[in-house]
Amino acid sequence: MTDTRRTTWIGTGVAVALLALAPLIFTEYFVSVILTQALWLGVAAASLIFLSGYAGMVSLGQVGIYGVAGFVFANLVAADGGLDVALSPYLAVVLAVAAAVLVGLVFGAVACRSEGIYFLMITLAFSVIIYYFFSQVTQLSGFGGVNSVELPGLIGDPGADPVPLFYVSLAASALIYAGIRYLVRTPFGLTLQGIRDEPARMRALGYNVGLHKTLAFGVGALVAGVAGVLSVFYNQRISPGSVNISQAIDVLVVAVVGGLYRLEGAWIGALVFGLIDNYSREYTPEIGTVLGPDRFNTLIGIVFLLIVLLSPGGLVGIWEQLRARSRGVGRTRMAGLDADVTVGDTPAATAPAPALKEGGPRR
Amino acid sequence: MEKEKGSRRFWVLLVVLMLALGAVVAGCGGDDEEQSSGGGSGQDTSQEATGPIRLAVLSDCEGAFAPFFEADNAGVNVPFINRGAKAAGAKPSDGLTGAKAGGRDIEVVGYGCSDDTADKAIEETRRLMEQEKADIMVGPLSGDEGIAVANYAKDHPEKTFINGTSGAQDATLKVNTPNFFRFHGDGAQWAAGLGDYAYNELGWRTAAIIGDDYSFPYTSLAGFVAEFCAIGGKVTKRIWPALGEKDYSSFISQIPRDVDGLMVGIGGTGLVSFIKQYRQQRGDIDPQKIIGNNFWPDPVILKEIGSQINGAYTAQPTAPDATTPEATEYVANIEKAYGKEVAGLAPSVFLYNYYNGTEALIKALDQVKGDISGGQKALQAALAKTSVQGAYGNITLDDTRNGVADNFVAKIVRKGGAYTAETVSRIPTVEQTFAGFFTPETPAPDRSNPKCEKGETPPWVGKAEEVTPGS
Amino acid sequence: MGRGQLGDWAPRAALVAVGVIVVGWLAIKAADDIGTFVTVTLNGVTLAALFFVVASGFTLIFGLMRVVNMAHGSFYLLGGWIAFTIQDKAFREQPEGLGFDLTPDSDLQFSLAGWVVPLILACLAIAVVGLLLQQLLLRWNQGQDLRQALITIAVSVIAADQMLAHFGGVTQEIQPPSGWPTSVNLGVEGTRFGFFRLVVVLGAAIVIGLLLYVVIRRTKFGMIVRAGVDDRQMVSALGINVQLVFAGAFIIGALLAGFGGVLGGTMIALQPGEDTAFLLNSLIVVIIGGMGSLGGAAIGALALGLVDAYGDVYLQFGSQDLTNYSILLTFALLVAVLAVRPLGLFGRPA
Repeated sequence: MTDTRRTTWIGTGVAVALLALAPLIFTEYFVSVILTQALWLGVAAASLIFLSGYAGMVSLGQVGIYGVAGFVFANLVAADGGLDVALSPYLAVVLAVAAAVLVGLVFGAVACRSEGIYFLMITLAFSVIIYYFFSQVTQLSGFGGVNSVELPGLIGDPGADPVPLFYVSLAASALIYAGIRYLVRTPFGLTLQGIRDEPARMRALGYNVGLHKTLAFGVGALVAGVAGVLSVFYNQRISPGSVNISQAIDVLVVAVVGGLYRLEGAWIGALVFGLIDNYSREYTPEIGTVLGPDRFNTLIGIVFLLIVLLSPGGLVGIWEQLRARSRGVGRTRMAGLDADVTVGDTPAATAPAPALKEGGPRR
Repeated sequence: MEKEKGSRRFWVLLVVLMLALGAVVAGCGGDDEEQSSGGGSGQDTSQEATGPIRLAVLSDCEGAFAPFFEADNAGVNVPFINRGAKAAGAKPSDGLTGAKAGGRDIEVVGYGCSDDTADKAIEETRRLMEQEKADIMVGPLSGDEGIAVANYAKDHPEKTFINGTSGAQDATLKVNTPNFFRFHGDGAQWAAGLGDYAYNELGWRTAAIIGDDYSFPYTSLAGFVAEFCAIGGKVTKRIWPALGEKDYSSFISQIPRDVDGLMVGIGGTGLVSFIKQYRQQRGDIDPQKIIGNNFWPDPVILKEIGSQINGAYTAQPTAPDATTPEATEYVANIEKAYGKEVAGLAPSVFLYNYYNGTEALIKALDQVKGDISGGQKALQAALAKTSVQGAYGNITLDDTRNGVADNFVAKIVRKGGAYTAETVSRIPTVEQTFAGFFTPETPAPDRSNPKCEKGETPPWVGKAEEVTPGS
Repeated sequence: MGRGQLGDWAPRAALVAVGVIVVGWLAIKAADDIGTFVTVTLNGVTLAALFFVVASGFTLIFGLMRVVNMAHGSFYLLGGWIAFTIQDKAFREQPEGLGFDLTPDSDLQFSLAGWVVPLILACLAIAVVGLLLQQLLLRWNQGQDLRQALITIAVSVIAADQMLAHFGGVTQEIQPPSGWPTSVNLGVEGTRFGFFRLVVVLGAAIVIGLLLYVVIRRTKFGMIVRAGVDDRQMVSALGINVQLVFAGAFIIGALLAGFGGVLGGTMIALQPGEDTAFLLNSLIVVIIGGMGSLGGAAIGALALGLVDAYGDVYLQFGSQDLTNYSILLTFALLVAVLAVRPLGLFGRPA
């Protein structure tokens, strides 16, 4: 077990170090628009994947929660529109994330009584409620969004120099990744995975399933809150449109494309999403009105559909299957998310993937 | 355990693979547009002196104002075509060849497409200004978009932004950034003359207003409220259906039956639905009791519901039936470039404002001889002093770089088989503050602002110059 | 898993109290201006009728096959667009060029066939689309609810973009036959109401509701559907061709969505975003009413339609105008129902 943990840290460290060199290799535009966006969008997707992979709850409500954090932050600092309370940005970040966690706990308490599809739809309803709330309460959302939001001094002006924001996002992503991997090895995390797999048994063993699920939702909300704040740093503004249903679907797409049960998938999916978004305009051939530079959504929808049909484990799942096959392993074995509990995830083409059954990866 | 180490390595390799892929893509794709990496954000000096000036255009191709997309683009293209450029295709969004201004080539890097929302507008702005590296932008189109782009402009002082036709008051009055220019009035200015008309000619003493729930209708109806209330009228009810809402039935139910009149500020394609549903619930439109803002005389709207609003009064910054040499030449130029259909839209605020903004830009570029170095300061200084002789009147800028121009009260009539707006009177030199009613400190127009208070009468009330049909 | 008597009693009592207050408030408003009250109530009821038509398809598909068809809204919008295109191309002249022909639209006449034929063709088209979707993408992974939800989400994303590409971003309306009156006089203080909304949409919803009821309760097909909702495996074990029944139910569900699209396109309008809007509406209706229950769908639709209509007009207290928050009210309704009955009013657990 110590071996694995060390490998995890080494692995993470290598990846972070490589990414840290990014500003020296790539253009400013690439660092700013592709990489930084991939990082914070990845954090948002990570909140979804944490819940789906480790707690067995696929939630569409993460965007709503990140909206709460984003709006609380934007309103608490000096900005154009909104409440313009003009607190210190550092304090505002803390309060924003705290607000998100609070909202997350409330949502979690209400939603934890439902499962599977019902849970998905209730969380979707949450995101929509948050969206409508902010659209209507214009004191909080400004009349065209909250613009020119003041950012913490550490970040400076991303318009002029995107590098500090990139490093902050990188640090946040790395911390969250490491944090979640640590959390799932704690007793709490293990209980959560137990609940994901066999809720009835866990209940019989005396665990308070509802409480654990609610707390898990709270953790997911914390991660989503960080994503929300990072998104405001990135855009320097926020408006209800930033947290509408399209955005919720986008985060879901990112998570599924990356790999719904693999934490790394969050950032991989976000990167792929960003690359397609930006470069599809130049390289998509025009096929009548069906395909063309403006048809980004069709492209991403097709990628999403293909992934769901062929590989429930997302891109990371595909990679692992290829790797396993090339090593000549006879029957592909389960690739674990975590050392201690193996998660069911079969190559999709041959058998229905229990991974995507309602309630979680194992039936 | 070994499998675990293996899987870790897998994803590390995967991440590296992805990065490598991204690097290759970025490297190949960004060739023509890459600036020196890791350096500052300034322009490449050699390009400033002799290379083409990169122009971006932003308007809406989705949402309530989608039908005007090509009209907007025509408004930008035709001033260049008048000076020798050639249209690259039948549609304005196909682009231009040989466009020049200030002695330098003008390259249009993209005709951006937003959907009436600030988010999409900012996304497109960033793509055009940062990925396509445009120097100057003409746009955006709608109210909320204008405020967002003006704020973006504030954060990017080294680029210049000429408003397309966004009419939200705040974009200039509150944001007030030296690199954002609006060569036309805001929405409130486009309603000038109606308050006067309603009070003095139609005899209204109380009124209700209804408009979409976002910044442009707030501003547009604020113009009516400011004028109507200043001279003694009372606005007793304000109704704001959500933008994009197409089911107006509940909102129509809220219109009080005991007011003297209703001022309608619903825009674009929503207006068509609104009028139809209004007629279902309240019967035919009585021109003595209902007036509309600048969306009513729009050719596309009149085509759909002209017969239902026949005889009603409205106001707009253009006079479609003007026969002055400037007006006829304006329409003729557009027809020459893109044909009768687009020319039919020439009097719409969309085409007219994009056109005048581009005219001003070309004038200023000529004046500074195409110099956009030094953070475009010279160009911005020149623009602040530029005036445009528009087809329907002269346009100058005030000290927040907002347009001061004439406005027109018009009546919807049927002429020669089609419905059109016949100009009734010209309201001279309308300016943004409405004689101090609006200042940078007054609350921005919204659901309940401006308050209906009697106050200083705007200078143009009672000075409407009557216009005989066809002059 | 009982929470004890008090735990169940308190939320119910709260709901009853809220209900009494709401009814009282409405009664006051009604007495104040009966004409407006009638209009607003009819607004709500006709809106509910449209919601019911669309949501009934959704609940049928879910109830029988446990498929949450997130592309249901896309069926709605596509049905509307197809009908609009047919009406536009076949029943009136199409202008050339950029399409800015300026002859007045309001002078154009549409015959009865000009509305009914596009309606029938659109419904058939959507039925085919629905069948294709079910056979190609959903049939082989039955039982994997989440996966099917994701598949249908993907389809809806692609469909929305394609519809934007092919039908444009401009809002359009389907024209009812010119022979039909625009509005009817209600006789209550001279109030009028749209003919199409009142007679056609409400009438269609009632007819469809009755038809579905008859089919479900009185035909063999309906019997199989009901049995399938209760116990899918048993039905299959009894040797009935479950796949055929599923396909049939999916066709009906999709057809209802498409039909709703034509109704909605005539009553309100067609534009990008309506697909998401109607998917959400259907979700709310079905969550309130309970998945798989037709009666629940009717009640849920009524609840949503009325709350929406009343909230838009009557959410005012003195000088405080809260009508813009009526949308939040509908969600509050959703949460309230779920607090008391997590599976909806008439829902049954899987």
